[in-house]
Amino acid sequence: MSEAIAAMGGSGTAVAPGATLSIDDVGSRAAAIVQNVETVIAGKREAITSALTVVLAEGHLLIEDVPGVGKTMLAKALARSVDATVSRIQFTPDLLPSDVTGVSVFDQASRKFEFKRGPVFANLVIGDEINRASPKTQSALLECMEERQVTADGTTYRLDAPFTVVATQNPVEMEGTYPLPEAQRDRFMARISMGYPSSADELAMLATRETSSPIDDLTAVVGLDELRAMISAVQHVFTSQPVKEYAVELARTTRDDRQLRLGASPRATLQLIRAAKAHAAMHGRDFVLPDDVDALAVPVLAHRLVPTSRALGSHDRDSGPLIDAIVRRIVGETPVPVGSARRN
Amino acid sequence: MRPDTIALSRGQRLALTAASFALIAVASMALGPLISGSGWWWMCAFIAAGTLFGGAGLRAIRTPASLVPVLELVILVLLLTLLFGGTTSFALIVPTTGTFTEFGELLGGAERTIQQQSVPAIPVPALTFALALGVGVLAVCIDILVQTVRMPALAAAPALVPILIPGFIIEAGAEAPTLVLAAAAYLLLLRVDVRVRRRARIMAGDEGDDAATVISPARVPIASTLGATLGLAGAGLVVAAVLAASTPSISTSLLLGTGNPSTIFGRGVSPFIDLGRDLRRPDPSPAFHYFSPDGERPYFTLLTLDRFEGATWGVTDTAIDGDNTVDAMPRPEGLSSEVRADEHPIDVTIDEVRTTWLPVPYPTTRVDGLRGSWFWEDGSLAVRGIDADTAGQRYQANWLEVDPTPAQLRAADRRVSDEFTRFLALPDDLPQVISDTAAQVTGTAATPYDAAVAIQAFLRSPDFEYSTEAPVEDGYDGGGFDVIAQFLESRAGYCVHFASTMAVLAREVGIPARISVGYTQGSPSQERVGGLQRIEVDSHDLHAWPELYFEGVGWVPFEPTPGRGLVPDYSRPGAGEGAGPPIPQSGSAAPSASGRAAADPGGGITGTGGGLALADSWWLRGGVIALLAAAVLLAPAALRAGQRASRLRRIARGERPADAAWSELTATARDLGVDVGIADTPRAVASRIADREGFAADEAGAALIVLRDAVERERYGPALRTGVPDADLIGALETARAALADDERAVDRIRAVLIPRSLVDRAQAAFSERLSPGT
Repeated sequence: MSEAIAAMGGSGTAVAPGATLSIDDVGSRAAAIVQNVETVIAGKREAITSALTVVLAEGHLLIEDVPGVGKTMLAKALARSVDATVSRIQFTPDLLPSDVTGVSVFDQASRKFEFKRGPVFANLVIGDEINRASPKTQSALLECMEERQVTADGTTYRLDAPFTVVATQNPVEMEGTYPLPEAQRDRFMARISMGYPSSADELAMLATRETSSPIDDLTAVVGLDELRAMISAVQHVFTSQPVKEYAVELARTTRDDRQLRLGASPRATLQLIRAAKAHAAMHGRDFVLPDDVDALAVPVLAHRLVPTSRALGSHDRDSGPLIDAIVRRIVGETPVPVGSARRN
Repeated sequence: MRPDTIALSRGQRLALTAASFALIAVASMALGPLISGSGWWWMCAFIAAGTLFGGAGLRAIRTPASLVPVLELVILVLLLTLLFGGTTSFALIVPTTGTFTEFGELLGGAERTIQQQSVPAIPVPALTFALALGVGVLAVCIDILVQTVRMPALAAAPALVPILIPGFIIEAGAEAPTLVLAAAAYLLLLRVDVRVRRRARIMAGDEGDDAATVISPARVPIASTLGATLGLAGAGLVVAAVLAASTPSISTSLLLGTGNPSTIFGRGVSPFIDLGRDLRRPDPSPAFHYFSPDGERPYFTLLTLDRFEGATWGVTDTAIDGDNTVDAMPRPEGLSSEVRADEHPIDVTIDEVRTTWLPVPYPTTRVDGLRGSWFWEDGSLAVRGIDADTAGQRYQANWLEVDPTPAQLRAADRRVSDEFTRFLALPDDLPQVISDTAAQVTGTAATPYDAAVAIQAFLRSPDFEYSTEAPVEDGYDGGGFDVIAQFLESRAGYCVHFASTMAVLAREVGIPARISVGYTQGSPSQERVGGLQRIEVDSHDLHAWPELYFEGVGWVPFEPTPGRGLVPDYSRPGAGEGAGPPIPQSGSAAPSASGRAAADPGGGITGTGGGLALADSWWLRGGVIALLAAAVLLAPAALRAGQRASRLRRIARGERPADAAWSELTATARDLGVDVGIADTPRAVASRIADREGFAADEAGAALIVLRDAVERERYGPALRTGVPDADLIGALETARAALADDERAVDRIRAVLIPRSLVDRAQAAFSERLSPGT
């Protein structure tokens, strides 16, 4: 069963279509979005920033955590803060691929088959509990994510830019789930987890949400054209040769690491750099620092890596997820590039 | 506003200068145990004061900072000219070429006296000059560190030079009170510096940027930090090399790897050189003692001088023959069986003399009980150690008391066999007075023996006066021609003159002659052990005497020096007639009324105290090792300073300046113990540094951000340049470095300078890179 929630209309925009934004504007607008989302989800600035980074880098985000910590809330709040079309798909085991992409319906009046666009035709697609859907349906979504188009009955329909899927999933050990295969996890630019709020944040939440959900009061702070301009500005962020080498070196190290069975793919390296550019832009910088790469290494790389069973066996669960620890260790050990006199 | 660029007031500079002076003055006190008296110290203190306060005066009149050290050196030369230039100077303080010649001679003299003298050394002018020069140079070094580069903590390095030297030379090292005083002076300097800095910083708030006389450390270190450190190490080594040798134990020539360690007096020069002038020692020190039955008191030969070259007497350098072991020594040359020769045992224990030549009577037939390898030399039978010296030796020797009759001597063949003609060699330009005297004295002698007796009698006549003071003019302490001619005129001198004159006169009349250097028979003590008398020989018993060769008898000693030693029976005038009663060979026979020989500056041949103290490998090794250790100790600081200078140059050249500035900042932070790894981004390092107290101040924090942003932009940014002017980078770097250092205790700052951790990290990184194949 599919449930398409209404696409939300955009409000007035400050930026004309095709206009460019200065890097400082990108930073300030990004800060405004983060601040806006924060009014709904307190104490999760890092997760919010990562999510926005993915949106600006035109990637797809996977939010993974136990139920009830605000995964969907984050996705929805992000969507509401940006004046873009948003749709929400609640994944269930009986959801069909056409429920996602759309279906051709015979129009009695025109006596033609007419393509009914599915919920995937939106700027921001919230895929709730994606691991509850059958693999077949998952694949349909993932193909849309990768190719940014839908093909039905021999016709190809392009998806509007920007297009970002924010999928949430419960940890795989939960009942009734189909874990995403490695190959499909790789299509998400980043995976974040929310984590439990602090006691103070949880108390504050009780106070604000006792009667109503504040998300209903959330308004967009950035228009669609503005968002496109931001994305365009991100694409123009400069990445120096040393930083590229650094990203490659990180990826290469994951492939050789003794604790990892599967390392980062070249796609991972590419997405790491893209995300780093967005991260830099959000901080008002027109060039990428190794710090940007470092900050995104765990969200961008961790969900693609598979630890060896030996490493899993010896891992102390209290010290957080094993794979995050491995990525942090690799980042901590890889020398930061200092560049050379030779410029590239 | 960078704290280091703040102009110091004259008063503040003067306070620093006074503290520097206190440091060097106290530090040079540490040399006290090595040098007798205190006059030298006043001289050094005067020189240091003149140099340092002269520098302070120059700064007061706003002399460019880089010129001050140079002008201080000029002041040093002027002061040295005033004190040591003598008549060569112009208007007392202006040096002329003659002055520098004089200085050169003084340095040469210092080197010689350092070789010859033992501890405590008499501060002869040459030695005082070397000390004053060394202290003056160290004072300039300290001044550069304290005032020019404003790193007073480093002043410890030059101050350590005089403090360390005694440790190389005497076991006790510098005296504890001196060390305490020196430490106090150093702390005083640091204290004054801290106060000055603090005051200057407060003042800077009012004065703003009006810092006209600033010695900008941003520029100075480029030229002078490396130079200062290296120059410091170099000067320290030179001074240490010169001063460390102020004992006979260490010879400069050996230190420098030249010279012949087997030659007694170093460098193979005649032992006669420079004797009396330097060393007329008031107190003798025991050389050795021996046990022998009454009456058997031989002379002890150390070595024999056989080569006369006009200017000096010298030893023919012969290679040691490995077969010539001392357990079986040959019968002496020319001694026939008809001559009476009684063998006597003797038991010698060395007290303080230290040499590679063994004191043994001539001729000796065997020596037992020696440690190390000792060999006798052909002809002279002098015994030489190749891997040991006399220190702590006790040995038994058998020696021959050769007692020829005048008849046997008189019967000796006048013709000299070929192998002995070299003992007749005389230079062609023999002064007339020598040949005249020879002819005159031996005119009536029928045989060589009679001629020899006549020469001895001539020299022992009342016309000749024994005097250690008579030789007043330079060079008179030698045994060369001119000296002999002069001696024949003035008729006053000591054993060196008498012996060499007799030897030359004997050669002139055709008798092979050589000179033995060693000890006279010594003086008996009251102690008797098992019927043997203990006889003490001390440094005043050092002596030189001629030996003449007679065919059939061999080498026969004579004693031309009045008042010294024993006159052999056979050499007395009229002994040939056989009528004279035998004169007992005992102490009472010596002309000296006291029963012991008068002090003979022959003792000065080799210095006193330790007696013939020679280049000793143990001390030498210790000194060299200590110097090397000091150099190794300072090497990291020098390397680090070089690295800093090169980075500052890079900033100045604009060659990735931000990278250079950042590298320098992180290296400084690392030196001071901040955790900085290769996997840390500039941002991470900056946030770590910013947590330190010193960066709570806006100025330091802002400088840090400037540096961080510059390096990020330069390394990873799209533009080629940082957009920050180089001067601002240098300023920010200095501010940040000062803030880093501010948080640390003085001891940590010193450790950071001496043991820069950043270098260790670099070395480790290089090492691990080589080990890991992947990278």
